Amino acid sequence: MPNEHRPEIGSTIVIEKAALNSILSRLREKGYETVGPRVKNDTLVYAAIERLDDLPHGYITEQEAGHFRLVNTGHSRYFDAIPGAQSWKQFLFPSRIELFSLRQNSNHWETSSPQSKTPAYAFIGVRACELAAIQIQDNIFMRPDFNDPIYRARREHVFILSVDCMNPAGTCFCASMGTGPRVKAGFDLNLTELEDVFLLTIGSEIARDLLKGIPSEPASAFLLRNADQALERAASQMGRTLDTSNLPELVLNNLDHPHWQEVGSRCLSCTNCTQVCPTCFCWDAVDQMSLDGKETRRERVWDSCFNPGYSYQAGGNTRPTIRSRYRQWLSHKLGTWKQQNGTLGCVGCGRCITWCPVGIDLTKEIPMLQEEAH
Amino acid sequence: MNDVQEKTIKELEKIPWFKELERKHLEKIASISTLRHVRAEEVLFHEGDREDFLYIVLSGRIALEIFVPHRGKIRIYTVEPPDLFGWSSVTPIVHQRTAGATAVIDGLVVCIDSEKLRQVCEEDHDLGYIVMRRLANIVASRLLVTRLQLLDMFAHPES
Amino acid sequence: MVAQQIARPVAIHPDHLLQPQWAEVLSITHEINDVSTYWIKFTDPAIQKAYTFQPGQFNMIYMPGFGESAISICSDPNDHTKIGHSVRFVGNVTNAIGRLKVGDTVGLRGPFGTYWPVKELEGKDVLIACGGIGLPPLRPAIYHILRNREKYGKVILLYGARTPADLMYTNEFDEWRKANIDVEITVDRGDSNWSGRVGVVPMWFYQFRIDPRKTAVLTCGPEIMIRFVIYEALARRVPLESIFVSLERNMKCGQGSCGHCQLGPYFICKDGPVFRFDALQPFFNVEEF
Repeated sequence: MPNEHRPEIGSTIVIEKAALNSILSRLREKGYETVGPRVKNDTLVYAAIERLDDLPHGYITEQEAGHFRLVNTGHSRYFDAIPGAQSWKQFLFPSRIELFSLRQNSNHWETSSPQSKTPAYAFIGVRACELAAIQIQDNIFMRPDFNDPIYRARREHVFILSVDCMNPAGTCFCASMGTGPRVKAGFDLNLTELEDVFLLTIGSEIARDLLKGIPSEPASAFLLRNADQALERAASQMGRTLDTSNLPELVLNNLDHPHWQEVGSRCLSCTNCTQVCPTCFCWDAVDQMSLDGKETRRERVWDSCFNPGYSYQAGGNTRPTIRSRYRQWLSHKLGTWKQQNGTLGCVGCGRCITWCPVGIDLTKEIPMLQEEAH
Repeated sequence: MNDVQEKTIKELEKIPWFKELERKHLEKIASISTLRHVRAEEVLFHEGDREDFLYIVLSGRIALEIFVPHRGKIRIYTVEPPDLFGWSSVTPIVHQRTAGATAVIDGLVVCIDSEKLRQVCEEDHDLGYIVMRRLANIVASRLLVTRLQLLDMFAHPES
Repeated sequence: MVAQQIARPVAIHPDHLLQPQWAEVLSITHEINDVSTYWIKFTDPAIQKAYTFQPGQFNMIYMPGFGESAISICSDPNDHTKIGHSVRFVGNVTNAIGRLKVGDTVGLRGPFGTYWPVKELEGKDVLIACGGIGLPPLRPAIYHILRNREKYGKVILLYGARTPADLMYTNEFDEWRKANIDVEITVDRGDSNWSGRVGVVPMWFYQFRIDPRKTAVLTCGPEIMIRFVIYEALARRVPLESIFVSLERNMKCGQGSCGHCQLGPYFICKDGPVFRFDALQPFFNVEEF
């Protein structure tokens, strides 16, 4: 029945699945670019979506170390496919963006800043681990002493429609990292998909306004219990686990452990893991100069601690071996990140495991540091 | 003990590791040592000379030099008080000086007769142990300095 | 160093990432074979007037088309008319700086980083042990000490270089000696025209008696030299909290964002470059870290 009142923040309502189409079109009317998971080229990407049926309806993903398959099982749900290589960081922290351009005028340079409008995104289908990753990147890009204007401009306008995970994949371990599968906070709307309906929990004033007039009912205790049970089941079906009780100390106390050499001999230093990781934040600034040297454009691009040039400086490279670079990545993510940011840097999404061409699995590498420890 | 030897003992006593020695040991060493004033640019010994003395610098600065064809005399080390040089004469292998020693500025050195020092150490193992321990320390720190020089840490990265 | 109050850098653009302010080259001093000092002034007089830095901080110097290089400021913090950077020509950006002429314009962002804690060291003896291109970042601290000489105890500068021709700022040493700073120089190797010392900086700890209870050690230079200076200082019981080190890593943003300059948990550009050694110790000697 139509609901003239705006539902309260914190309350959960139930809607017909088709009603999501109205929510999406209202978001677009307000000027948001609605982006969400789509099937493309046998994988999942985050791209523009307009209606419910753009979502990966009936799909799941098979994920293992170095293995990803998108499979249509014909089931009835829209949000069961665990994400692919892409994460939401490409929208808030674009992989390539112009910072400014210069034009030479006699002996000085004239600066111009890029004029493009900052997009307002509505993220549709943000998983708990992904939301945790966004919050981690918020702490990195927007600090009291340094505020990245590019990240901030995009982040301020983002509308987040998050989704509880009911069907974790083979490389998921958000439960171990304390980041999921249930979404707790930080969203505008949180969606829980049941067999026939969507439950929506209201998280903000914007969400309340959005729902005005959309037919809904308060979610019954029965439905809420259904949702809880499904989430508890999901939490026990994680494909991987990681004991975090001894982190970061286990890593910080074993920087000279022989196991780093073992992983280093398998790792290709290909940078896949840092690209797919939703919390990795390293970047580089490069100049694109015209052939006549009179104009130059300075761009920010993603970088990776696995790149050989990353730690190169006058006098040589401080991390010349793959072993040292792998150690840097993992000892940062599950070690020194804690001192820098207050939390560990990993959210348990499993992407680095799935997309590693040689199948390196950090949930297996970390416990090795306990073996033959000296 | 004559005046000269008393003076020598007084100078030796200023050097930290000599404070460890008993009076009788000090006297033994003084009896085989001489004090020598050196003037700036004075050569104490050349590469190839017989090894005869162990030297201790009381004041001034002594440069150790090696002659390299086409490059001339390279100063590889300078000895400041209260450091010593010419230590290889105490446990000789080559029996010839492997570097030359030149005074950079005016100074005063103690010259200890190496052969007599070896005899004295043989006769009195207590004294011998103290002397050799001290020499071991000197050699260790020299080795460290040499290694750091070898690393050429100030070299231009592209060279 | 976490306890320092770092002022917001004057010469940055808060709304546009990495956009520099512009500065003019006033003069160039040829120091030694591969190092020259560039004296610059902001083209905007308001920025020049507002610009201040602490000894040990650095600027990011931008050469359009090439990129940026982190260069320590080597001039007197009290001089607001110009800012000095001693640049060693080793890579693309620094070689581009090397082609600058008087009157040319460069981009500049800064100042960044932690600084030598000269105020906290008042009342102490100060031992400055540096070598090669490690002296420039210490020179502003020396100028501060000179201006406030009576506030410090014994002050010793140990400075080493590869050969006599590689010694920098030699025309200032006598002035520093006159102000009661013990300036001791050494070279890795010399020729017969060199009447100074031949040896390495760390070995001087054998020469100078220091009171570990009241001596602070400031050190900068090749990391090998720093390591051995620290060994010698610790062997003489100087507490870890009294040793200060300035480090260098590949820097891109200077603001603790791009990740390049990390050493363990620290961003050298924001938690350094000056560190108190107790904070550094767990990570400093790990190979290839």
